[in-house]
Amino acid sequence: MTVKDPICGMEIDPKTAFATREHMGQTYYFCSKNCVDQFDAAPHSFMTSSATTGFNSELPLARIELPIADYPFYKPTDALKNAVRALGGVSQVTANSTTGRVWVEYDPEKVNLYQMAEAIKSAGFHLDGAQTRIGIENLRCASCVTFIENELKATPGVLNASVNIATQEATVDYLPEKTTLFSLNISIESWGYKARLATSDEPVDKQEQAHDREYRRLMNKFWFAAAVSLPVMATAYYQFVPFLNTLGMNTLRILWGVTALLTLPVMFWSGSDFFTGAWAAFTHRSANMNTLIALGTATAWLYSTAAILFPAVFPAGTSEPFYDVVAVVIALVMLGQALELRAKGQSSAAIKKLLGLQAKTARVIRDGQEMDLPVDEVLVGDVIQVHPGEKVPVDGVIVEGSSAVDESMLTGESLPVSKKQGDEVIGATLNKTGAFKFHATKVGKDTALAQIVKMVQDAQNSKAPIARLADIISGYFVPVVMILAVWTFVIWFNWGPQPQLVYALVTSVTVLIIACPCALGLATPMSLMVGIGKGAENGILIRSGEALQTARAIQTVVLDKTGTITKGKPELTDVVISEQSSVSNDEMLRLAAAVETLSEHPLAEAIVEGAKVKGLSLVPPENFEAIPGHGVIAQVEGHRIILGNLKMMQREKISTGNLDEIAEQLADDGKTPMYVSINGQAAGLIAVADTVKEDSAEAIAALQQMGIEVVMITGDNRRTAEAIARKVGIKRVLAEVLPEDKAKNVQLLQADSAGKRGAGVKKIAMVGDGINDAPALVQADVGLAIGTGTDVAIEAADITLIKGSLKGVVTAIEVSRATMTNIYQNLVGAFFYNALGVPVAMGLLFPFFGLLLSPLIAGAAMAFSSVTVVGNANRLRGFKPKFSAK
Amino acid sequence: MTTPQIIVTLNGFALTLLIIWYFWLAPKGQTRAAVSESGTQEVAVTVKGGYTPDVIVVQKGRPVRFTFTRQESSACSEKVLFPDFNQSALLPEGEQVTLEFTPDKPGEYGFQCQMGMLRGKLIVK
Repeated sequence: MTVKDPICGMEIDPKTAFATREHMGQTYYFCSKNCVDQFDAAPHSFMTSSATTGFNSELPLARIELPIADYPFYKPTDALKNAVRALGGVSQVTANSTTGRVWVEYDPEKVNLYQMAEAIKSAGFHLDGAQTRIGIENLRCASCVTFIENELKATPGVLNASVNIATQEATVDYLPEKTTLFSLNISIESWGYKARLATSDEPVDKQEQAHDREYRRLMNKFWFAAAVSLPVMATAYYQFVPFLNTLGMNTLRILWGVTALLTLPVMFWSGSDFFTGAWAAFTHRSANMNTLIALGTATAWLYSTAAILFPAVFPAGTSEPFYDVVAVVIALVMLGQALELRAKGQSSAAIKKLLGLQAKTARVIRDGQEMDLPVDEVLVGDVIQVHPGEKVPVDGVIVEGSSAVDESMLTGESLPVSKKQGDEVIGATLNKTGAFKFHATKVGKDTALAQIVKMVQDAQNSKAPIARLADIISGYFVPVVMILAVWTFVIWFNWGPQPQLVYALVTSVTVLIIACPCALGLATPMSLMVGIGKGAENGILIRSGEALQTARAIQTVVLDKTGTITKGKPELTDVVISEQSSVSNDEMLRLAAAVETLSEHPLAEAIVEGAKVKGLSLVPPENFEAIPGHGVIAQVEGHRIILGNLKMMQREKISTGNLDEIAEQLADDGKTPMYVSINGQAAGLIAVADTVKEDSAEAIAALQQMGIEVVMITGDNRRTAEAIARKVGIKRVLAEVLPEDKAKNVQLLQADSAGKRGAGVKKIAMVGDGINDAPALVQADVGLAIGTGTDVAIEAADITLIKGSLKGVVTAIEVSRATMTNIYQNLVGAFFYNALGVPVAMGLLFPFFGLLLSPLIAGAAMAFSSVTVVGNANRLRGFKPKFSAK
Repeated sequence: MTTPQIIVTLNGFALTLLIIWYFWLAPKGQTRAAVSESGTQEVAVTVKGGYTPDVIVVQKGRPVRFTFTRQESSACSEKVLFPDFNQSALLPEGEQVTLEFTPDKPGEYGFQCQMGMLRGKLIVK
């Protein structure tokens, strides 16, 4: 018998094979070293079984690996093994209780996966498959249900399938390693049906589609109402229309009768939303915009119809109809709603932009085969290949290869970050230079991007405290307007000029129509949505409307030093040689860094890193010795190198000469100097320091320019703290603050400001890197965490700056100020619109100027007031922060 | 004052009182959430021009699962918000959307559509 070398395909005798390898339960034989080396490099890619079917046509028996959900096995697996073994066609069953997997060797002709799944279930275990739902278009025949179910069950990798004719969906349990959505769809399509996404899984674009449909629906209704409005207007103002003005009253009355009939479909088709909405609200004992429009138009129609049917009942001159009010108002409000919908669609642009970052497909390696899968199908544990120029599809850890990844979209880090084996990669970031494989750790709604999107959406739907007032007002608004309309009628009827009934009716209808609770209701949420979205676009995640509102009033910003103002990581800053030094700067650094390669101290790391940046090659030291609290000693290339503080030099009795003075100066600058001695001679100093972020000073200056006091808080000693503060232009420093006292200090600042200018006016913001500053972040009125997008989910801060820069604080305050200004404009606008519009509609100006509002103008004003609010909110989209993101 | 004027004025008073009573004073029907076997309080809410039921009574400290079904296409009601719980859900037309959270503190909390035209109340006892 011969076997096939999986690499070169040569038929060889297993006995004389150059090497053998066991992989995934199969034995492979190789003809040469070359072949076995290739196999060892990537055993997965040479496996002979097909990835999609799970069995190898060349083998009489198939092997399959079944994941068991009840892992780890607390109960003995004998029952399970026996149950599977009892099936005809199963030759071998092995269970691994540590991995929760069962291997079955079986004859695919005699037994299928569905039967195995049933057997496992009967033994009291559960198979850990994935479940998906697939929509099936136009599924009508009940008998086809069984056919499709059987077809799906026969598809390799499927554990169970059921089709529901009512929901037109198939629910499929399957082993994701063994099948793909694509092959499931093929099974459905083989019966002549078209598979589509299950309704419940459709993407977010669905909202957009729904909006498009709704827009078309509204516009159809508008066009119909508008078309009817023309003849209705002509007959209403017959005096000004040639030919009509020559007709007698009786002919006109017949014409009006026709318009009465014409306006009926306008009311009950174009305006059906108002009537159904009004009725639904009425049954809930509440009233809203629909109530007002329905009441107004219905009153106008009923009065008009009564007037033309029974003209004799009405006083002279009052028997003319107002069908124009019915048709035109409904047309205008419909148009207004359609425009509002369009404008709303634009307000959610930020979320769309974020979602657009998501990769659509992933190149997944399953059973050694690369396959392109939609990103929704990627599972935790999948190995995914990413080539240069491609997006990383989900979050994970690199298992092979290395590359530079552009993470600017999520972390704000403008330079590509180099990634190697074991490093985390984030979904939606862009792979630049190299190819790598990574192991998916977070998929679907758990990815960093999905969390960010969720957070932004939640915040957009939260409520700013300022909206509570608008809420209270709109709770009483509509009934109050109804009462006002009633009394408008009564007053005009009792004391108005002739014809009183017409005046009374027209004014009360105008009151009902002009009042617009929508503008009030929309004012805050629309601006909030755009504002928070705008923040997200600039790398600022605002947790709620409340945080956004408070951020506007920030008067003092407390900045944590380490990690917030500074990089939070020491860096090599100075290399100084002594007067009597026998070596050059670089040579001293090279020797010292060589010693530090063995030290685990963070300062040592900074020195090694600094030497590497200078391109110095480091040799391993010998006889390494660390003296706690002093420093380290080692032999490098035969030289005895000592590296440490002044105590170390004194201990070794090395005279430091003029170095002490320099060391003192370095310390004054907030740096940590270390003495270097070579062969018993003081060679020089190496200083490291936590350096200030490049843009910290600029951001702090910008904050101060905005009239905000900047305070630095740190646990570091006063000398270092003040050195940093000088560099970035901070005047007030709270140094030597224990971590647990940071919150207390923030509280003191709050009490201090409250005492000065009245509580609640001056808000304190705390900016920290999120972990050790958590209590202070919570204590502050607004806590801003500096963190990368990946830890967003765990941040407890009100605002997260996903770009590591302090400029984000400036932008956050700017976004807040711009949004709150916009909200005030909207609220004031909506409030004044109603506060002025309603009295004018009641006829308040009539006694003085003889001015009355036409119900048609009221309809137009009402329709466009809410469009204006949404439009004003959209103006925020043009907001440009001082420090632009790009 | 003529007779019609007196009638209109009296009607004005009557209507005013009726509006005040109907919209503000009359007690609203409350719906108590049913508790399922798993211990969740279940409420099915239909969204059509309003929330039915719109006053829902639940127990504190026990998860509440709302199942919203929106039976209209009007964009007003496409989102339901529980601002006090920082919860919101998009309600595609004709689909059942569930929203689950646990109210911890007793009190009255509003829920509403995005612009506040449709309103309901969640009473936690």
